[in-house]
Amino acid sequence: MSEEPTTPADVWALIERADELIKYASNRDPKTAYEQAKETLQKAIDASCSVPGAAPLEKQARTRLDDIARLEGGPAT
Amino acid sequence: MKLKRGGRDDVDGRVPPNQRLTRGWPVLHASPIPKFNPAVWTFRAWGEVSNEFEVSWDEFRALPSVTVGSDFHCVTGWSKLDNTWEGISFRDVAARAKPKATATHVLIHAEYGYTANLPIEAVMDDDVLFAWSHDGEPLEPQHGGPLRLVVPKLYAWKSAKWVRGVRFLDHDERGYWEVRGYHNRADPFREERYSWQE
Repeated sequence: MSEEPTTPADVWALIERADELIKYASNRDPKTAYEQAKETLQKAIDASCSVPGAAPLEKQARTRLDDIARLEGGPAT
Repeated sequence: MKLKRGGRDDVDGRVPPNQRLTRGWPVLHASPIPKFNPAVWTFRAWGEVSNEFEVSWDEFRALPSVTVGSDFHCVTGWSKLDNTWEGISFRDVAARAKPKATATHVLIHAEYGYTANLPIEAVMDDDVLFAWSHDGEPLEPQHGGPLRLVVPKLYAWKSAKWVRGVRFLDHDERGYWEVRGYHNRADPFREERYSWQE
């Protein structure tokens, strides 16, 4: 993938990358993994505003930011 | 009951497209690993059933068990072949709950609110079970212990870790990853990875 996303598939690839960072976080330093995931998701959000057809992916990225906030806050139960 | 794959040493036809074989067992999950306390742990079946029930860990473990051999495919790209799982078959759980004729889907409920949805026909296969053991050892917490669902024919996010119950539904209701852009059905041999493929 090029550095700057130019298609919705590029934006989704960023979101999927963030998913993998979150899912494999327990194998490394979770704090670092979550920070990298947040940076990746912010890139996806920024791109979703400029890439034609990618606007619906902003919601997907923001849902994951909420997920990470919960994870960083510790177990809910 | 013991189901084992029959005498095929080759992997031809067993590894879905764009998957790589792993000998280890990668650990991945979207929540912390929950603490297991058998004194308070319960498993519940409810919804479109005529016999809702809730059982303790000891009661659940006392149900008749099955051993099933199957492969396991993760949407992140790895496949692990020849796993041996032991646990309670989904069909036995359903037989106890007695789904109504209106039940078409199930939503698996796990710790921290994780859910996975499945059509009822997908979980009534004889290789679907709630597993507490893998390859003869108690299922480790990082792999979903004490109890995970195993649905070998679908990508592994459907095989929810740390399961606490199953809700029978008269409609479909997308689960945790399904609302986050992943495929509702998740057949690895059709590479059903993303919701935009639906």
